[in-house]
Amino acid sequence: MKLHSPLILSALALSLAACGGAPEEAADVSSAEASVIEQRQDNFEAIGDAFKAIRGQLEDGAPDFAAIAGDAETIHTNAGKIQDYFPEGTGIDSGADTEALATIWEDPEGFAGAAEDLIAASQTLVDAAGTEDLAAVQQAVDGLGGSCKACHDDFRLDKD
Amino acid sequence: MSGTSVNIWDLPVRICHWSFVILIPALWWTAEEGEMGWHMRLGIVLLGLAVFRVLWGFAGSSTARFASFVRGPATVLAYLRSMNSPRDPIVGHNPLGGWSVLALLGAMLLQTGLGLFSGDPYDGATGPLNHLVGVMTADSLTEWHESFFNVLLALVGIHLLAVLFYLAVKRDNLVHPMVTGRRAMPGEAGGMQPVPAWRFLLCLLAAALFALWLWIGAPPL
Ligand code: HEC
Repeated sequence: MKLHSPLILSALALSLAACGGAPEEAADVSSAEASVIEQRQDNFEAIGDAFKAIRGQLEDGAPDFAAIAGDAETIHTNAGKIQDYFPEGTGIDSGADTEALATIWEDPEGFAGAAEDLIAASQTLVDAAGTEDLAAVQQAVDGLGGSCKACHDDFRLDKD
Repeated sequence: MSGTSVNIWDLPVRICHWSFVILIPALWWTAEEGEMGWHMRLGIVLLGLAVFRVLWGFAGSSTARFASFVRGPATVLAYLRSMNSPRDPIVGHNPLGGWSVLALLGAMLLQTGLGLFSGDPYDGATGPLNHLVGVMTADSLTEWHESFFNVLLALVGIHLLAVLFYLAVKRDNLVHPMVTGRRAMPGEAGGMQPVPAWRFLLCLLAAALFALWLWIGAPPL
């Protein structure tokens, strides 16, 4: 009987390679740049988690306005840090594991404006949550979501 | 081995099998690279094929049918105990391998099912059924989707080790028949009983329509 061990071995090697974990960072990205990228992604991750929690509250019949205000505060604080995390050479062209488009550095005013919009929109939500007016909170959440989307559309890679 | 060469795996079974072999690493890779558009397209293809394979497990040729290979624990134990004694090859899945098929198919269905609901509209791609669940539910399902891949990987690993065991220890090459569909059987043993092609087309159509319906967000019918 003919053996087909090369086929099996390559299948096995493929599956083992699949266990290998994360792809390495591109070699030409210095560790300082890689760490800035990591910090900004953590910052966005925290913004994302807070925004999820806020939307989760609104899906509940009886939202906890204090919790919404707290999460909106988190977004507000983190939004203020966004611009510090985008030094030159940390965009997608650097080969690093990032979705930051070159447009961030080509249109610095536009990017700064988008970050300011997020700061303002999160403050609006903090204030609305303080009034415990559900309609106002819902409107502020929609506005906040719009500011995420507006920036992502222009400055973040979309691989759909 | 002497004897006659008979058909043991029909073409749909083999196409499903080798598609899974290609799609699972491709899905892992596209997820790792954040190529979510491709991840979702390949994922819905995998789901459709797995659904097809389930339908084929009821309507397909003899060796494709669950009824022909899903055995109770007593049969599996008896099979394991007789592992050392020489015996004729089986036309179809052995009692243990049958469970491996069920586990792998079930895991692929669960994994792709979780993927349908995964993602967040404010953070990149969302699966086609993401809108049907709340954000927090989608968040948990996304985490399940990420961790359950390891279970699927472990099942694939066990499957590969088993195939390797049969090859190295039992001197029984299971890969070759999964490519050609045929294997040598001693004596007059018959092969699988095929079914007419219209059954294949019907199962394929049903699975494809179901996958398409999921892909467009499962609108009410
Ligand atoms: C000023 C522009 C801007 C605004 C406003 C903005 N984002 Fe982002 N976001 C980005 C960019 C750029 C990235 C990609 C960062 C990278 O990959 O290095 C990103 C990445 C993310 C990520 C992925 C982080 C990771 O782990 O890689 C999440 C989640 C996210 N944003 C959520 C949000 C949410 C939720 C909002 C609104 C509440 C928001 N963003 C508002 C620009 C913005």
